[in-house]
Amino acid sequence: MPRPAQAPRRSSLTPFYIILGLVLVAGLGLLATRLKPKAGEAVNRGVPVTLTPEQLQRVQGISIGRADAPITIYEFADFQCPHCGQFAAFIEPLIRQNLVETGKARYVFYDFPLGFKWSFLAARAGRCANEQGKFWDFHGIVFARQQQWAFDPDAAAQFAEYAKTIPGMDAGKFEQCVRSDKYQREVSESQQLGQSLGVGGTPTLFVNGRKLDPLPETYSAFETQVRTIAPAAFAGAPAAPAAAPPAPGDTGGKVTGQSATP
Amino acid sequence: MSAVLDEAEVDGVEEAYAPPPTSRMAIAVLALIGVFDAAYLSMYKLGIINGLTCTVGSCEQVQNSPQSALFGIPVSVLGLGAYVALLALALVGVQPRFAADRRIAQAITAISGIGVLFSAYLTYVEARVIYMWCQYCVISAILITLIFLLSLPGLKRARAADS
Repeated sequence: MPRPAQAPRRSSLTPFYIILGLVLVAGLGLLATRLKPKAGEAVNRGVPVTLTPEQLQRVQGISIGRADAPITIYEFADFQCPHCGQFAAFIEPLIRQNLVETGKARYVFYDFPLGFKWSFLAARAGRCANEQGKFWDFHGIVFARQQQWAFDPDAAAQFAEYAKTIPGMDAGKFEQCVRSDKYQREVSESQQLGQSLGVGGTPTLFVNGRKLDPLPETYSAFETQVRTIAPAAFAGAPAAPAAAPPAPGDTGGKVTGQSATP
Repeated sequence: MSAVLDEAEVDGVEEAYAPPPTSRMAIAVLALIGVFDAAYLSMYKLGIINGLTCTVGSCEQVQNSPQSALFGIPVSVLGLGAYVALLALALVGVQPRFAADRRIAQAITAISGIGVLFSAYLTYVEARVIYMWCQYCVISAILITLIFLLSLPGLKRARAADS
């Protein structure tokens, strides 16, 4: 019986191994270029976090108003979400004016970056502003100029420019913070808290732990719901005035929906 | 190996050593490409890299969507596991003595078949739920479909060998 040809069997696999080796080298090379760290990179994504229910309860938002106010309002928002921008422009100022500044409510902002181009970076930038006590100033500017930075290839530079316009803010220190990974974990934890509470889109509001669903379209509708949830806080106070008629061409102060998680 | 071949020769079972099937070699190459594709997405999802270079679509938004994880495990990590398994099976399966092995053929078809179904679901999610595309997910869907199709001749060959 003739011996089976062993050598040809092996050599028939040689081209295969060569091709496989080339793919291996090319793949490793491509991955290596992607891994190259960039100096001063502004981190724009979260880190995986797994928090226990107890840890979730300790996740910090950024609050304004009396700590012992009878009403606590949580807002989960994304600085790049258009509906959050509308909410911040039309309803939130009235909440702060009528409920927060009157001592009825404490307002707590939680980051819930949805995944727009700069969602996470903007959330981190908000925390960087907060470390200088300028969160709410930054919050107002960032929402008002959403269209300016949302499509900017270097949003961090835009945020630094905004910081320069905020009195008393150290823009250099702020930019250094934004161009780092600082607060990556805090924002990720805030996001996880939102997910654990069933936040699926932004803005999402909770009043004394109750989710407002659907989100009220006007301030008066919002206050009506708040009065139902916490009537004691309004004892003796007159009801909210009806919303002013909308001016032509604007949304009438209505927040027309929520941005869903992409 | 030489000793094994010699034994086979003595036993007169050379027929068991089928020539290495080209389709299985192609599966190995495609699976290796899949390993890199899934590894890249996994590194992003696990926080090893901070961004994805994406020339087509919105890779990061897709990777940050709720559908990018299954039971808390990133889909890209599941894909990485599947491609590593397919690569290992294909590398063993190209060896002449395993070319007609029924279990290897079935395992490749089963894993890639599940992969095709899951990729179809993910493609549906991209098209109809989140309305965004990730080029690496599309590449993976194409790779796993090709692997599945290429696995079918091996399955037939194994059945023929059995019968």
